[in-house]
Amino acid sequence: MSAYEKILAEHEKQKAKALGMGGEKKLAARREAGRLNARERIDVIFDEGTFVETGMFVTSHRPEARDRSPADGKVTGFGKIDGRMAGIVSCDLTVLGASSSLNNVKKMGHMRRTAIRNGMPLIFLNETSGARIPDTMGAQGTGALGQDPTQFLRDREIPYVSACLGPSFGTGTWFTMLSDFVVMRKGACLAVSSPRVTSLAIKESVDPEELGGWRLHTEKTGIVDYAVDTDEEALELVRKFLSYLPSHCDELPPEAEPREAGADPEKILEIVPPERQKVYDVRKLIAAIADKDSVFELKPKFGKVATTAFARMNGKVVGFVATNPMFKAGALDPDGCDKIISFLVMCDSFHIPVLILTDTPGFLIGIEGERRKAPGKIMNFMTALQMCTVPKISIVTRKSYGQAYLNMGGSRNSDEMGAWPTADVGFMDPNIGVNVVYGVTAESDPQKFEELKAEITRDSSAYDLAAIYSAQTVLDPRETRDWLLDMLEVHSRGRSRGFSKRRLASWPTTF
Amino acid sequence: MADIKIESEITGTVWKIETAVGNRVAEDDVLMILESMKMEIPVLATDAGVVKSIEVEEGANIAEGQSLVILEG
Repeated sequence: MSAYEKILAEHEKQKAKALGMGGEKKLAARREAGRLNARERIDVIFDEGTFVETGMFVTSHRPEARDRSPADGKVTGFGKIDGRMAGIVSCDLTVLGASSSLNNVKKMGHMRRTAIRNGMPLIFLNETSGARIPDTMGAQGTGALGQDPTQFLRDREIPYVSACLGPSFGTGTWFTMLSDFVVMRKGACLAVSSPRVTSLAIKESVDPEELGGWRLHTEKTGIVDYAVDTDEEALELVRKFLSYLPSHCDELPPEAEPREAGADPEKILEIVPPERQKVYDVRKLIAAIADKDSVFELKPKFGKVATTAFARMNGKVVGFVATNPMFKAGALDPDGCDKIISFLVMCDSFHIPVLILTDTPGFLIGIEGERRKAPGKIMNFMTALQMCTVPKISIVTRKSYGQAYLNMGGSRNSDEMGAWPTADVGFMDPNIGVNVVYGVTAESDPQKFEELKAEITRDSSAYDLAAIYSAQTVLDPRETRDWLLDMLEVHSRGRSRGFSKRRLASWPTTF
Repeated sequence: MADIKIESEITGTVWKIETAVGNRVAEDDVLMILESMKMEIPVLATDAGVVKSIEVEEGANIAEGQSLVILEG
């Protein structure tokens, strides 16, 4: 054996050790349970043969753990999704629980800096037990952390995406909170600390689903966009999400081939009932207006009074913001506000024009809303809307009342506003107004009530709004797509070549 | 299988019940229609399952968060 043959044989041995992860026994158990391992996940998410690894030979800094810490539990590198480069941090639970350590945190820092500097999305595949013990114990263990003062700074120069595919605690959770899109595998747990650590701390048993399960995060906290059954579904959703976003903030979102509308314009008249007491699902309206099969909804189970979705219009990416009468009649609640704010932040950060569809009786008022800081949320929403510098085009399809009229782009709060002939705009329902102002109800004094109602009622039609130029036009609902396409061209931000000012890019969205 | 409680997301009255005990329902099927804010608001199944019990009657006043239907998932 020549000297080189020996050297290269040793090199192959070292490589095999790293690629062997936590050993065949643990990997077999995962296969048995239907879970991909850290490296298989990378193969699934990236275009074939495009992955290039960084940090393969990293191990624990503790000599006694060096042999059992291939890649130090986090596999990192770069690969392509539909031909576009992205960075990845894939946790390997088979190696010391993929816990965060001195050396793998260096890898994560390198990934983050490299992705930001060179303009590519960063993907976190989380399955980690949290900080490594005993590495982080004591003043020196903890004091060694935090050497990068920008580690958790989010300026949205690039998209961050997280898939929580198993337990996700500590660093895995922190980067999930900072992400623009999150998908979770059902059965995973996303929390500050594990159920075991938590139950030891508070001395009572903790149910993982209650502490950080998919229902909590898709329905209550809104952190997770989608919960799925398999690794493959989760990774496919990550690819799909990224297809709507630019690789970084100095480029525009990727265009696709223009397609025909999702439905014949006549269908719109079937989707939206003219009777004001009837509800409908605004997602059907969005699907009809946008390019066929181009709609990708975000946070579908959270704040359902509002719908937020990416879509394409003649191949160009847009963001739809709509109230959905199907839920709470489309009355905006605190969760709905948070959902819209986080979406406006993403659209403004990555130059995605916003299309607003309004059919709302107003903000949902009540004690529960006040306890949940509704007034603050409403003003945060308003601030975000006014700071948002992408094109904003709005349409009042039916009702738009009170402050919610302004929040949904009313008057000068969007670049151009159209109203369908079915629009009904005002401050509040006159039936309620009579009671509020005069204390008279239809039951207490029917005649007086009718007189007073006639006195305070003002015309509330689309034409009244258009007559003072607060709506710029009244639209046949069947013309909606064509009008939006025209207005996207008019309000193209030509002088900045379609780039927004990104004033919302640093807005924290983990409400 | 676990029981799935379908709660009202809004204060209002029960206008029409559109399912019955023993029915098999799919996710997003309409279970009943509430009346609130002068709107007819459908209550949808959050999961697929079999209707185990219906907790309210037509015409009843209901509060936000009140249990309406129990499904067996």
